[in-house]
Amino acid sequence: MLLHMPQAIDTNDLLLRIAKGERPALAQLFADESARLIGVALRIVRRRDLAEEVVQETFVAAWRRAGQFDPALGHGRAWLTTIARNRALNLLRDSSRIEYHDEDVLADMGDRVGDAMAAFQALSDRDALKHCLGQLEEPKRRAILLCYVTGLNHGEAAASMNAPLGTIKAWIRRGTIALQECLS
Amino acid sequence: MTDEQMAQIGDYVLGLLEGPELNAFEARLKQDPALARAVGLMQAQLQSLDDTAAALPASPELWTSIERDLDKAPLETAGTVVPFFRRSRPMPAAWFGLAASVAVAMGIGYFAGTLGGSSPRQPVMVAVLLGDSDAGPGAIVEAFADDTIRLLPLERFAVPEGKILQVWTLPDADTGPVSLGTLTDQGAITLAGPDLPLPSSGQLYEITLEPAPGSPTGRPTGPVLVKGFAKAPLI
Repeated sequence: MLLHMPQAIDTNDLLLRIAKGERPALAQLFADESARLIGVALRIVRRRDLAEEVVQETFVAAWRRAGQFDPALGHGRAWLTTIARNRALNLLRDSSRIEYHDEDVLADMGDRVGDAMAAFQALSDRDALKHCLGQLEEPKRRAILLCYVTGLNHGEAAASMNAPLGTIKAWIRRGTIALQECLS
Repeated sequence: MTDEQMAQIGDYVLGLLEGPELNAFEARLKQDPALARAVGLMQAQLQSLDDTAAALPASPELWTSIERDLDKAPLETAGTVVPFFRRSRPMPAAWFGLAASVAVAMGIGYFAGTLGGSSPRQPVMVAVLLGDSDAGPGAIVEAFADDTIRLLPLERFAVPEGKILQVWTLPDADTGPVSLGTLTDQGAITLAGPDLPLPSSGQLYEITLEPAPGSPTGRPTGPVLVKGFAKAPLI
């Protein structure tokens, strides 16, 4: 996983060049970041072809919007991840694109829980995020991970965790407040 | 930060805000640097969860598809987004002339749209615009991939002398409200708007009452008569 970790400064630099219309900079960004972003999108959209479609849209959006990227407000890698996550979530929420049969839904939910918990376990023990997520009660942690890592909405998280919608909303609300306080 | 603000930041970063709530939050993000910093911080902190995803090499044709799209997609730099459309900027007097010419250009777009070919097209997004009253839907907007919209009024709006109906959309909080054109009569018409990203689900469309020949500031100044959020048709 750490074989190739692009330097943040490089991503910022590439985005500033892309903003000037330099297509080779976009090609370099694609070489550095596309595999990572396909992995991020796949946990949300669950299909390789759709994950690639998300990443295609992400790089087209990066090309169009690089002029809006401000290095002072955060670094380029997170900016790019946010675009990819939003595209993946839009695709997931657009239910006409992904059709499931009942047994597929159950298997899908199971896979998502597995991915969400694996993501938490894979965090470095030195990462404050692991510590702070670890401080949360299990249901709150699980609800947050399901939504963030695999893109479930409140209703889907409620179905997956077999809990009332209002309870899920309250868990996520209290959980994300506690998380921000712990991380600050 | 209040608990309420932190809860909203959490919902936003987790991808749980949708539709009007999402649009309102993103609009606030542009105006509230402290809120933007808090969101940026949480996004950066959660990035390490994204970094646990197994990387998957792109298929060879992916880059080719991107390049093909780029040839269609104009670059959005400060220079290509006409400042006239930008929200919350003071309006230099020189832009007023442009306002008139943009309105004329849109009129041409309207005729080009009605005269040029009548084959049925599939809209990318549809929005049903509603007013405050219980009078039911006031208009339907069909938005197409080529920056045109077809507007189908369902209700006759009262337009006082010297006023005009103007159609707007909010592509994203960065761009702010963008004029799609004005209505001189209330039949179904096609308007050619400026070059914008493809309309997306939840995108706001609205009609306001403006001084003729169109809003002097380039953004909505008059009362909102009807508004609605776009949704992709199931076709």
